[in-house]
Amino acid sequence: MKKLLTSSLFWVLILAFAVLTACTNSDSKEKNEPTKNDTSSETEGTKDDGAATGEKVSIEFWHAMSGTGQESIDAIVKGFNESQDKYEVKAEFQGSYEESLTKLRGVGGTKDAPAITQVFEVGTKYMIDSGYIEPMQKFIDEDNYDLSQLEENILNYYRVDGELYSMPFNSSTPVMIYNKDAFKEAGLDPEKAPETFAEVIDAAAKLKTDEMYGFSMLTYGWFFEQLVATQGGLYVNEDNGRSGDATESLFNGPEGLNVFRFLDTMNKAGTFGNFGTNWDDIRSAFATGKVAMYMDSSAGVAGAINNAPFEVGVAYIPHADEVQRNGVVIGGASLWMSKGIAEEEQEAAWEFMKYMTTPEVQAKWHLDTGYFAINPAAYDEQNVKDKWAEFPQFKVTVDQLQDTIPGLATQGALISVFPESRQQIVTALEELYQGKDPQEVLDKAAEGTNRAMEIANKTKQ
Amino acid sequence: MKMGLASKIWIYFLLIATSAFVFFPVLYAFMISFMTGPEIIQGKFFPESISFENYSKVFSRLPLLSYLLNSFIVSVSVMLGQLVVCSLAAYAFVFFKFKGRDFIFFLFISTMMIPWEATMIPNVFTIRKLDWFNTYQGLTLPFFALAFGTFLLRQHFLTIPKELHEASQIAGLSRFRFFWRVVLPISKTSLVTLGAYGFLTTWNMYLWPLLITTNQSVRTVQIGLKQLQSQEIATEWGVVMAGVIVVIIPTLLLLFLGQKQLQKGLSQGALK
Amino acid sequence: MTRIGRVWRKSVDGRTAALYLLPSIILFSVFVFYPMFRTIYLSFFLTDQTGNAAIMVGFENFVYLLGSSEFQNSMKATGLFVLYTVPITIILALFFALLANEKLKGIGFFRTMYSSTMGISVAASSVIWLFMFNPSIGMFNRLLGVLNLPQIQWLLDPEWALLSVSISTIWMNIGFSFLILLGGLQNIDEHLYESSRIDGAGYFYRLRRITLPMLSPTLFFIITISLINAFQTFGQIDILTKGGPSQSTNLIVYSIYREAFINYQFGTASAQAVILFLIILIVTILQFKLGERKVHYQ
Repeated sequence: MKKLLTSSLFWVLILAFAVLTACTNSDSKEKNEPTKNDTSSETEGTKDDGAATGEKVSIEFWHAMSGTGQESIDAIVKGFNESQDKYEVKAEFQGSYEESLTKLRGVGGTKDAPAITQVFEVGTKYMIDSGYIEPMQKFIDEDNYDLSQLEENILNYYRVDGELYSMPFNSSTPVMIYNKDAFKEAGLDPEKAPETFAEVIDAAAKLKTDEMYGFSMLTYGWFFEQLVATQGGLYVNEDNGRSGDATESLFNGPEGLNVFRFLDTMNKAGTFGNFGTNWDDIRSAFATGKVAMYMDSSAGVAGAINNAPFEVGVAYIPHADEVQRNGVVIGGASLWMSKGIAEEEQEAAWEFMKYMTTPEVQAKWHLDTGYFAINPAAYDEQNVKDKWAEFPQFKVTVDQLQDTIPGLATQGALISVFPESRQQIVTALEELYQGKDPQEVLDKAAEGTNRAMEIANKTKQ
Repeated sequence: MKMGLASKIWIYFLLIATSAFVFFPVLYAFMISFMTGPEIIQGKFFPESISFENYSKVFSRLPLLSYLLNSFIVSVSVMLGQLVVCSLAAYAFVFFKFKGRDFIFFLFISTMMIPWEATMIPNVFTIRKLDWFNTYQGLTLPFFALAFGTFLLRQHFLTIPKELHEASQIAGLSRFRFFWRVVLPISKTSLVTLGAYGFLTTWNMYLWPLLITTNQSVRTVQIGLKQLQSQEIATEWGVVMAGVIVVIIPTLLLLFLGQKQLQKGLSQGALK
Repeated sequence: MTRIGRVWRKSVDGRTAALYLLPSIILFSVFVFYPMFRTIYLSFFLTDQTGNAAIMVGFENFVYLLGSSEFQNSMKATGLFVLYTVPITIILALFFALLANEKLKGIGFFRTMYSSTMGISVAASSVIWLFMFNPSIGMFNRLLGVLNLPQIQWLLDPEWALLSVSISTIWMNIGFSFLILLGGLQNIDEHLYESSRIDGAGYFYRLRRITLPMLSPTLFFIITISLINAFQTFGQIDILTKGGPSQSTNLIVYSIYREAFINYQFGTASAQAVILFLIILIVTILQFKLGERKVHYQ
């Protein structure tokens, strides 16, 4: 018995020791680097008559970017920290957008809050109402920052009552991606993608084979919102929630019904492939030739081109036949400045945000991730030009954004319960694919959204 | 006992078939972790060549080593904490007679029925008020008291003959000495089981560490797994699987090593 | 000696016991009972966007839930999930434990294999299964393709999704149940078997007459734990299906999580938590009432 305990203790200790030594090694390496930087910045500081000998202002930047996005952010932050010696930004991953927001609720408005938080686009209204944040406009006015250098169509989304509340950061729009080889085989013109719902339905029927579906769309509310907006349809009343708190959903109107009928027609004809709610599933379906056309985020274009063993085309999202194309609504996330933190921290955060919007940084961000450059000057950077020459498909995503007609529909809806509403749309789509009536499932989703909005308005102080 | 050759072969066959079945997913993940993107898309089972590229990517992308160390510290602390807290409570339930014992025991057991997710929101606020964000105590202390552990040990303590307790009282052994010198050594098997359980479940915790850490200082490996999957940008499955393998190797290793110990302990317990 | 003094001396047992119980009681109070009461309190309110109680609504949240088809569906899914996972996990684990209890060369290796899933976190195993279920590149559909069978949309078809999640859950839980049951088997006294062998009893007779009755406390224990765990399943849902498709895998704990963390409706989320607690309470009491009679303690 004693033997058992001592020997198991022994193993635990050995394991602990092994892990410890492994880590202290890596730690000492990490520690060496910053000290080098410190000394170099100090010498610079002494040149400036010791202006920067004081301690650096250190701020936290909470983000929800995992995978390659995180890698890129880390590199950008490192670039900022090395570019000057007054501020230090620490980028910290906080889980998904929802989880990050939950954590922010714990510290929001206190001095423990991070100076900068990345919040998804549908959290915009929530953040404005929360009282945790300082509107971006204040810093823009104080600093006379020239907003016109940023992409107007992106700013439009985050501008409420003429004020910019947050700094746009990772922005994307939906696109339609298609398999050019399959188009050729089906006798379609691979250089001209279908543009309207009827054309897509038609093409999908031609593209359908035993192995391949014609069209697919991720079961995600965002795509539905886009297909409604491009027809000029509003999502909720009160001018899409932009002139007051919305109280009623409008997405179950004729534009929304058009979208559901469009999907229903193909689903019933067997030309629509349902690949669920997971981004990776629908992408691997496309890459393995199980679907010929699908809707994806502009941030997914690079992956689609790299993974597919065939030629990939990128096109604008389709619109209903009887209307003009209005264009797309911006998606993604923006950066919010916290209220209640020290002034020099806000100053540091503002400097960092300005750095983030420079063309060089935006070019890197765009190339690393496929998100838009919010500063269009980035598209003139040489590395972006090179990439575009190699993959002309990227340009389509930018063109689609710049061709968008500004208006209430394409500005995007503003409601605080957007995440819940999206969930309702997902359920409606899933029920539609099970064969239920389009109007019926849409009405149910609208009802659910109305109830959520009613509670939110009632409890708002 | 002697077993016929036929039945021996039959049992070996069953053993091999079923254990291969159980272990298959792990093996599959292991294979994927060596593959390149196109190989994965083509759906191969064996990689064409063993490439460690995915592993080097995982380690360059995340501070995995410090995550591993954190996981280790947190798991060992919870394991020790649970052993102390639960054995004390179980001892009280078995060897003391007091008013309301059954009621308190029932209260303890009822905590098993409260879904952790339901109490999570207030708990996050409690940790915040205690200023325990990004600390080891925030990650470990809420898990020290465990109804399951108390229940497990109580069941084992119940099998200790009452005569032993009486004899010890006559011999003038204090309560605590009886607990320390007699009860704990007899129950080593259950303690080892509970310890292993505590270590593994803590190692595998996922949502809680994510919610109460806001920087890298005390993050655990499970969060690292989450950081490898991306939402809007394509996931690199090879890298994710390499991450999975790195994360499960310490616990599997512990299980491999501890299996024999656990085995001996359990069979010795049976012989007592 | 005064009466109080006598009571004081008589209660010495209780006071020492309290000392031993103190750490548990403090921890449970802070991290389980307090939040539970807070949850019950919140279940009678509508909460504002920051999660504070805003408007007292009495039982309205409960009335709304019980009438909502979504919640009914989530209860049904939870019930089915428990039915799919608990019996199969225990039967399979028992089968493996019986196999691994044979004294054969290299048995330790097999025991490790069977228990291995206990060493793999829910997060890690869900990621592995997510990949295996992938409709285009996952191995299940590849296998079906090789066998010339029709493809199954594992996690995407509302008919299959709950089953698929159950399969992966059974796999995840088997290691733990196996270890506990093997421990129970090893604790059975060898002499019992020896005397029966002299009587010439067959394997299944021994299984039914000796093994299972002697194992009953362990079985009772593992059934209780498995039931409670099944009701509280969360991680694999979050990673594999997010409650879809068509809400078919929206188990109650996931539904609570979504209501609280995505929709910010702590009131209704808390009401769901209270209902879940009541259900588990009832099931456990029933189990104790029915089970304890059949359990054979040594």
